[in-house]
Amino acid sequence: MLESLFGNATVEKVLFYLTAYGEGYPLGMARTFNVPVNGIQQQLRRLENGGIVVSRLLGNVRLYNMNPRYPFLAELNSLLAKAFAFVPEDEKARYYRERRRPRRAGKPL
Amino acid sequence: MKIDWKRIGIAELAALVSEKLRGEGIDSLVVGGACVSIYTHNRYESGDIDFISYAALKLLDAALSPLGFSRKRYSRHFTRDNCPFFIEFVAPPAAVGKEPVRSRSELPTKFGTFVMLTPTDCVKDRLAAFFHWNDGQALEQAVMVAQEQPVNIREIKKWSAEEGFSDKFGVFSQALKVSRGEKRQRP
Repeated sequence: MLESLFGNATVEKVLFYLTAYGEGYPLGMARTFNVPVNGIQQQLRRLENGGIVVSRLLGNVRLYNMNPRYPFLAELNSLLAKAFAFVPEDEKARYYRERRRPRRAGKPL
Repeated sequence: MKIDWKRIGIAELAALVSEKLRGEGIDSLVVGGACVSIYTHNRYESGDIDFISYAALKLLDAALSPLGFSRKRYSRHFTRDNCPFFIEFVAPPAAVGKEPVRSRSELPTKFGTFVMLTPTDCVKDRLAAFFHWNDGQALEQAVMVAQEQPVNIREIKKWSAEEGFSDKFGVFSQALKVSRGEKRQRP
């Protein structure tokens, strides 16, 4: 959808992921989309170098989210939200509706 | 002029780099922690200098290599043997929050002149980190700059409201009052 604008399909997936979940780490994104983690890391590095996303270490995991100080964030979010509305329902269900609410430690299900 | 790289100050390095870039027709602006260091006379010491430039990294590579600076592939920061600071080229545009940087300060040094954020924009830049990430260090730095330099508090207040952080401007304003009170009481 925005692939030609962003340059490739992976960066679109990464941005939709961050739009849907607010934050994410490379391996988690790679597992969600079933793609190699290297490609995800490369795109995240590109976005971070451009000031569009920021990251921080949480334990051993590098967690990424949209950079709240990116001056065009509101406009980018609005473009992503509009494009996300056109994502087919089955794709939304497969990639962008993973459980995110808390789960008590030790709970069997 | 001979350069003592091990003892070079942050402002001198900013000037050297800026002059080198200017010589190649490249404009640059110093932002971030280096401005805090300079405006607070090193009460806060930054280990790097953040520049903003619209030039391609390849052009920056070519311009800075005669000074001995190089960068690793994919990175935006340059290092040099024996130099205590590294240099980073932050992605443009030059902005403080949602607002473009409109005014700039120029600082002359023995190695030339460089362009940097004004004290008021430097405070806004630090406050943006405090607003979005609750960064206490950034708040402290904003207070230090406002204490040491003339800043337009009314403009900062208006900007904070436009960014949606009037409540956190209150925290800054309170911290500045306390800090100014402490300064007055010092012998």
